[in-house]
Amino acid sequence: MKPADKKAYDKDYAQAKKTGKPFFPYAIFKDTIVAGLVVVATIILAITVRVEVGEPVNPSTTDFVPRPEWYFYFAFELLKIFANQNALTPVIMATFMVPNILIILLVIWPFIDRGPERRIWKRPFAMGMIVLVTGFLCYTTYLGANSPGGVGSGGLPLTGLDEAGTAGMAVYMANGCASCHMVAGVGAPGPGPDLTNFGSKGWDTAKQVAWLKAPNAPMPSYASLPPAELESLANFVNGLGTKYK
Amino acid sequence: MTTKDIGPKNPLQKGTEDAIDYVDERSGVKTGTRWFLFRNIPEGTSWFQTLGFTAMVVFGMQAITGIILAMYYVPDTEGGAYKSIEYITNEVTWGWLVRGMHKWGASVMIIVVFLHMARVFIWGAYKYPRELTWVTGAFLLLLTMFMGLTGYLLVWDQKAYWATVVAVNIFASAPILGPYIGDILRAGPEFGPATLSRFYSIHMLVIPGAIATFIGLHLYFIVRLGISEPPWSKRRLRIERDEEDARREAARERAKALPGAVNYPSTWPVEAKESAR
Repeated sequence: MKPADKKAYDKDYAQAKKTGKPFFPYAIFKDTIVAGLVVVATIILAITVRVEVGEPVNPSTTDFVPRPEWYFYFAFELLKIFANQNALTPVIMATFMVPNILIILLVIWPFIDRGPERRIWKRPFAMGMIVLVTGFLCYTTYLGANSPGGVGSGGLPLTGLDEAGTAGMAVYMANGCASCHMVAGVGAPGPGPDLTNFGSKGWDTAKQVAWLKAPNAPMPSYASLPPAELESLANFVNGLGTKYK
Repeated sequence: MTTKDIGPKNPLQKGTEDAIDYVDERSGVKTGTRWFLFRNIPEGTSWFQTLGFTAMVVFGMQAITGIILAMYYVPDTEGGAYKSIEYITNEVTWGWLVRGMHKWGASVMIIVVFLHMARVFIWGAYKYPRELTWVTGAFLLLLTMFMGLTGYLLVWDQKAYWATVVAVNIFASAPILGPYIGDILRAGPEFGPATLSRFYSIHMLVIPGAIATFIGLHLYFIVRLGISEPPWSKRRLRIERDEEDARREAARERAKALPGAVNYPSTWPVEAKESAR
């Protein structure tokens, strides 16, 4: 904003203030009504939709759907959007680049849009931005709210399952892998990548076990599983798409 | 006209006035109140401008319900945290209501803060001179979201635990500083008892303190700079109409002054006259 524009604004605002009315009681009156309504709405929500007590924490089973609060669904969906790219992209894009760009834009916005114009129809860029960002947040929150929950205990539609394969699949299902990964169309479409053809990567058991113990974020570590189960799970995942189709 | 002396003042009233004067002499409370409460605001102030105050009230509600919850909550991973949540929900008188209000209050606060921000954005109220008010507000939004993240873990149930494991992993995956942030949040390399007490302390002490500080700054800016006027207030529209009229008048004068000018009817749009020239 040019010094002349600043001066013009200051003058105009001083005029508005001079012909205005006192904060107390005029603004406080409206404030109290709206704030009161919102507090009452919260109490009504608390009475009608009771909060329940969930399952107690059990760090050794991960048979769950890692669902954040609804206002983090957009981040959760971002993970899914980038989940099926290569191994590094989801981490960098969904967990670092996109959120940080959004945060930085949010904080420095007044220093980007500095023109004196305040009327809505004369600020197409700013209005475009807010429609875009709000639309994106609403859409991803909606997706997050409707994303599939648990996959049940039905198992995966795979052929070629030998004894080791069946055992590995049992470990896979019991530990909630399907709540982040999809195999042959079963399981959540993210945040983890689709594992249907994982076997084509040609990992050996040791590499897979090491990965399960210390995977890339946001995947949690499976180091707490017994070694036999870890190995069985590793062999199962390494065989997906090759042995088990 | 002089006031007639009707004798000594009511001792109670005199005592109160003396006490206020005593405090004012030392603290400037009278000036402060006048500065805060009796400042003028533009006349066309809208209902949309109540959302900031509402967000502050919801924060107050969260503080009060949070204090009550803290009286019963035990940050213990060996079943204590979970049992205390069960106790609050099922045994404590009105406990379910306090917990419900605190839980729903978090969602309500996010919504109110977002709507407040949308209002400020759409009105262009973040422009000169209110840029720093916006910056403090943006930090308040981030702190509010961080409040939701840390509070979610405290109930110590499966859903919260694993969602937080994933969330902390996300922080830890950031380049360079990520691993350190992860260790700081977890209080070590693993999720455990120290993690819960750390989240408890961040949720109850660190962030509320930061939010209170930023609300203080935010309010200071608002009172100092005044709340913005709606871009379409009656006063603004009148000024814009006057400016538009003046511009038309000037264009008409210019058209008349040109050699060989025809006297176009004044109802012609300015643009047509300019191009006709």
